[in-house]
Amino acid sequence: MHFTKKLGIGAVAAAMSLSMAGAAQAVDLQFYFPVAVGGKAADTIEALTKEYAAAHPDVKIDAVYAGSYQNTITKALTAVKGGQAPQLSVILAVDMFTLIEEDAIVPFDDLIKTDADKEWLKAFYPAFMENSQTGGKTYGIPFQRSTPVMYWNKDAFKKAGLDPNTPPATWEELVEFGKKLTVKDASGKVTQWGVRIPSSGFPYWLFQGLSTQNDVILANSDGNKTNFADPKVIEALQYLVDLSAKHEVMAPGIIEWGATPKAFFEGESAIMWTTTGNLTNVRANAPFEFGVAMLPANKRRGAPTGGGNFYIFKDSTDEQKAASLDFIKWISAPTQAAKWSIATGYVAPRPDAWETPEMKAYVADFPPALVARDQLQYAVAELSTYQNQRITTIFNDGLEAAITGKMSPEEAMNDAQQKADKILKDYR
Amino acid sequence: MNAFRLSGFDYDRALNTVGAWALALVWFAPLIYAFWTAFHPGEYSTRFELTAPLTLENFVAAWNAAPFARYFLNTVLLVTSILIGQFVLCTLAAFAFARFEFRGRDAVFVLVLLQLLVMPDILIVENYRTMRFLGLLDTILAIGLPYMASAFGIFLLRQTFKTIPKELDDAARVEGAGFMTILLKVYVPLAKPTYLAYGLVSVSHHWNNFLWPLIVTNSVETRPVTVGLSVFSSTDQGIDWAIITAATLMTSGPLLIAFLLFQRQFVQSFMRAGIK
Repeated sequence: MHFTKKLGIGAVAAAMSLSMAGAAQAVDLQFYFPVAVGGKAADTIEALTKEYAAAHPDVKIDAVYAGSYQNTITKALTAVKGGQAPQLSVILAVDMFTLIEEDAIVPFDDLIKTDADKEWLKAFYPAFMENSQTGGKTYGIPFQRSTPVMYWNKDAFKKAGLDPNTPPATWEELVEFGKKLTVKDASGKVTQWGVRIPSSGFPYWLFQGLSTQNDVILANSDGNKTNFADPKVIEALQYLVDLSAKHEVMAPGIIEWGATPKAFFEGESAIMWTTTGNLTNVRANAPFEFGVAMLPANKRRGAPTGGGNFYIFKDSTDEQKAASLDFIKWISAPTQAAKWSIATGYVAPRPDAWETPEMKAYVADFPPALVARDQLQYAVAELSTYQNQRITTIFNDGLEAAITGKMSPEEAMNDAQQKADKILKDYR
Repeated sequence: MNAFRLSGFDYDRALNTVGAWALALVWFAPLIYAFWTAFHPGEYSTRFELTAPLTLENFVAAWNAAPFARYFLNTVLLVTSILIGQFVLCTLAAFAFARFEFRGRDAVFVLVLLQLLVMPDILIVENYRTMRFLGLLDTILAIGLPYMASAFGIFLLRQTFKTIPKELDDAARVEGAGFMTILLKVYVPLAKPTYLAYGLVSVSHHWNNFLWPLIVTNSVETRPVTVGLSVFSSTDQGIDWAIITAATLMTSGPLLIAFLLFQRQFVQSFMRAGIK
């Protein structure tokens, strides 16, 4: 008893002296960041925070690596509930509703005071802001954002008698080219598939490319209604299923996401869909000439956005919030955004970042980097709702059931919509 | 070898042997793949060619991707401190439950057993609060503390202590030994196989634990190897099998080597302690 009491008093005293020291001197910020693109990204973030700290001696930023996106939100929410919230964090854009529901974050509108700050909010691509705003308020600032693009193997195109510089631009062409690109050996075994659209883990993301191209939105911007059973969604899913079942241009069953770039390098597939975050990886490792294109169109062009946003947490002092805002403004400024984009392959989230000399030199040397940016005008918000984990799991299960042939696309989507309605009706 | 007998074929034995080999191969296959991939350049990670060049570069790349030297030190400190804590606490608690009569003993023991039914993940937020209250956030002690009063360890040692003949206990008492002396001179030495088996389970579990250490720590000085390993699971970029297998072998290497060295003792102690 005596011992614990002493310990408790000691802890309180230590905490008090810490917070007093903080108030008297520098502002302390704790900043959680996830890494989803390999080890080097962590070094880049730490270098950027050091650079900021050197220019702002009155602010101390502790950049904490927090694992994958999933780990980061777990860590952040645990810390919030444990009363030790970080001041700012990069977390998936689609987790916005979860963070709002947990009352963990504050909207940027509460923190910005000047007209210049209001202009700053408008500096980002509208496609990225769709996942950052709800109910007329801005909760996230785009940082490591991505979008899926199509990579194709030019050597394989040549061998199949196709023009190596013309990727498929429509759904019909994707099937038509895919048939020419699918190669079988003497025993009838496929040695090279035409197309690879990975479907493991989070099939909803790439599928959202198809549904958007079919001119349908999966969820409303209030995050409380989904359109899974829309005939256009079912049609898009039928197309995805037909790629392997009917046209036989894609491997049947669930296709592994993580192994996709490797399969592309090894020539197991002539075309792959994956994130633009892979650009640097493909550039370094593809043993053949490759091209990067926007996803093909059907009724329209389209793709989802993806990746993480900056959030500011509620449980901090006003000084800390102001300092966090200042840091986010700095790291999302054109020069820093360009640096981050070049280092990782993520899409720089604002037009003026593409006008910086560094970025201009980079795209002049490597024009495929522009594809993702140019696709943004057709991009829509990534599927994001209240109870996001549960809703996407339901949707993913539906997609997987259709892909593996356990249910027809129509059954699977009706089923998913019913389950989603049951959860989301409380939020309407 | 002995599958054939003069009187005919011993089906039972042959089936056992074939079954054992098949299971061993299934268990071993991922490890073989990891070895193959880790020691060859990236191009060979999905192809098998006997003449493929060997390389250690994957290990160098993995080692340099995170401050692994420090992480290894932290992990060793972590598993040793947990093990010491568990041995001390569980031994004392198990002895009390096994040999002392006191009011409410069974009720308390049931409470301890209930702890086995609770998934540790549910307690993350509560444990985090406790660590914050104690001012221990971001320390190695905070990673280990919630695991030190292990219900499994108490249960296991209590069962073992109960099998030790009371006569030995009485004999020691006649000689004038106190409780602590009896515990240390009679019970602990006789329970050695249990300690060894439990120690192995504990060390390998905490060597591999990831989520709780990630949540409760923030800095390189306190984080274990599993956190270092996680930088390789880069979902946005696809997975580089060569490096990830090298890193996995590197981080699990000490455990693998320890197991191979002490294999006989481990297997025997598992048999004697009755954990299978």
